[in-house]
Amino acid sequence: MLFRIARSKDGETISHYDQYKVEVKEGMTVLDALFQIQDKMDPSLSFRYSCRGAVCGSCAMLIDKIPRLACKTQLSTLKRDDKKNEMNLEPFPALVEAPNGWSPSDEVLVEPLPNLPLLKDLVVDMCRFYETLEKLKLWIDIEKGTEYRNQSPEERKRIDRLVNCIMCALCYGSCPINAENEDYLGPAALAKSWRFFDDSRTPNPDRFLKDAKGESGAPLCELIMNCVRVCPKGVAPGGAIRKIKEAE
Amino acid sequence: MTLKHDVLVIGAGLSGLRAAIELAEDTDVAVITKVHPLRSHSVAAQGGINAALSKDDSWEQHAFDTIKGSDYLADQDIVETLTKRAPQTVIENERWGTAFSRTEDGELAQRPFGGAMYPRTCYAADKTGHNLLHTTYEQAMRKGIKFYEEWYVTSLVREDERICGLTALEISTGEIHGFVAKAIIIATGGFGRVYGKSTNSLINTGDGCALALRIGASLKDMEFVQFHPTTLYGSNILITEGARGEGGHLLNSEDERFMERYAPEQMELAPRDIVARSIRKEIEKGRGIEDEYVHLDIRHLGEEKIKSRLPGIREICRNFAGIDPIDEPIPVQPGQHYSMGGIHCDGTGATSISGLFSVGETSCMSVHGANRLGGNSLLETLVFGPIVAQAALEYIENASFADSSCVEDIAFRDRSKLQAMVVRSEGESPNILRKEMKKTMDNLVGVYRSQEDLEEALRTIRNLRERFEKISIGPTDIRFNYSLIRTLELENMLLLAEIITMGALMRRESRGAHWRSDYPERDDSEFLKHSLFTLMESGAIKTEYIDVTLGKFEVKERKY
Repeated sequence: MLFRIARSKDGETISHYDQYKVEVKEGMTVLDALFQIQDKMDPSLSFRYSCRGAVCGSCAMLIDKIPRLACKTQLSTLKRDDKKNEMNLEPFPALVEAPNGWSPSDEVLVEPLPNLPLLKDLVVDMCRFYETLEKLKLWIDIEKGTEYRNQSPEERKRIDRLVNCIMCALCYGSCPINAENEDYLGPAALAKSWRFFDDSRTPNPDRFLKDAKGESGAPLCELIMNCVRVCPKGVAPGGAIRKIKEAE
Repeated sequence: MTLKHDVLVIGAGLSGLRAAIELAEDTDVAVITKVHPLRSHSVAAQGGINAALSKDDSWEQHAFDTIKGSDYLADQDIVETLTKRAPQTVIENERWGTAFSRTEDGELAQRPFGGAMYPRTCYAADKTGHNLLHTTYEQAMRKGIKFYEEWYVTSLVREDERICGLTALEISTGEIHGFVAKAIIIATGGFGRVYGKSTNSLINTGDGCALALRIGASLKDMEFVQFHPTTLYGSNILITEGARGEGGHLLNSEDERFMERYAPEQMELAPRDIVARSIRKEIEKGRGIEDEYVHLDIRHLGEEKIKSRLPGIREICRNFAGIDPIDEPIPVQPGQHYSMGGIHCDGTGATSISGLFSVGETSCMSVHGANRLGGNSLLETLVFGPIVAQAALEYIENASFADSSCVEDIAFRDRSKLQAMVVRSEGESPNILRKEMKKTMDNLVGVYRSQEDLEEALRTIRNLRERFEKISIGPTDIRFNYSLIRTLELENMLLLAEIITMGALMRRESRGAHWRSDYPERDDSEFLKHSLFTLMESGAIKTEYIDVTLGKFEVKERKY
């Protein structure tokens, strides 16, 4: 299988694309392919990885112009001409502009996750993304006590999808608003704000809603829902942002 | 540039974060980690965390199950601490916001787990590690803890009998810096990636164990490697014990619940070592499927239960095996899962080097002995994180900073070493050595072991260590040089692979996860002991045995 991979030794912009021919084995993922390239063809290729099981969120990147986790993307599902591969993402330049010579039908295109500064090859600077968690103070202000709090299964269920977020930043990298506006806090942080607001146990839930409604938050979202389509864990951040917008 | 902090924590999984949170109140602590904290392997833990919360349960019962599960090799005083503190530890994390699963009346839900005589495993669906890690990281952010993210520690530095700092490679720049510290806590997790078939994250390369060993700290019980019975055939991604806790069955090619033969009472919920051996035995006897795996069947639990209690397992099966466990049984085989052994330390994490502590999977206190029970490792991280942090705090009260020249010298040495490694243009690719190491450990130092196999493994690993001296990484860049990082990890793993194999060879008995086909009995008269490994200046590894701390639970035959 042919791979065309974005390269950037010094960061900032993609300097060129390198092509590699990967030997495909059953069950192989894009992450496996990247390791094969690093091990056997080009040890200078840089990309992040850790769990290889779609739980750690390290390997978010743009694969065939769709933001995905490399470890979760089976090679066998790429290049299939069927509806399953269509995500109907709202386009913005990084999702549309393809390098010269790329042949979408038989060549896997791997590029860094959009909307974050490029550091090297497929490694992007996640600081801006992580900082949103601190800006919104996305943690519980602990109250003193020695017992656990009760929570009904129904109350727990309200936050079920949201607590599955792995902070991989695929939503951030797929969002047309994040593409245009560096200040926008983005889908993951806002969804997590709603997670704390809607958790029956949170001591002072209103601060989460108030901050999420701030000028860099939910008001900037246009409910485009790319985030919902690309989320690898079914978190549906856009749904949470809609609730933030509607909440008083 | 030389940096300075009172206490450095290496590793930002649950152990490291929990220790750092404890320290942040009173001292200048920083965490050095080779990946962003949320990418740590704690995130992958699925099934749960044990605590005797119910009136009908007790810390004593939890302790007994743990000690029996350990095949009596756990130190009973440390197990007492673990199990006594379990309830308050789970409660603490609940109060921090972890979204534990609930019973109908809103209490913390608890499920049965292997080797436990009472359902005491608290859980957040089958994503317990994920939930605990994200919550604990939130609290670390709240404390404003300083993180050195994507820094790889290259050496620990000691001055006489005490620790004085470390050197670390900043991955984003490729530069090595020295750090001076009064105390260092190693919380780098296990070394599962010494094996090929492993549930572990690719980053679990035992760096902390190798770092500690190289400056004279000892490793303990390294031959005790846990093989999880149910890892997904193909990728060896973990399929939680919770799947059996919820009622899943193990079936051979004849659709027979074969655990009846091996553990008639506990069946699928016998401890992991026993279930892993039983699966291997079935495959050996020709009752495996494709001679490679057996089936874990959860179909009878029904769609609703699978979706609410085991959603992560369903995701994994669909993404990585192309099957839906609601409709089809899951193909599973044993795979490396956990490192019971680790850095030799006492119940406060203190090692033989003053100011050097270890905690979590990288340490060996030992709470798991020869076989860890499911649900006890997450517990270990959160119970001992604060205990070890307190011990470090007490230590630094009377400790001073060493002169920065001690770390600068080592930083200079490490820069030269890495420089030489990177520029060597002729030689074998580290990839070849890595593959051979993993294959050797999978095939010869696995679930069943024998003198012949282990001797062959030892020869191969020693040969690989010699060949490592002449490898060539190939052309790389200075920044984000992951090929270099992976080569340094390989160097660490080769050292540990040799020690694991030596330990397995030395221990001529079968106990817990260590099973010798040629010595199938447990031998308490010779081997009710911890093994200890120390690197001598000559490069040789000194081995010895030390006593296990026994206690109120009498050493007995282990039956389930």
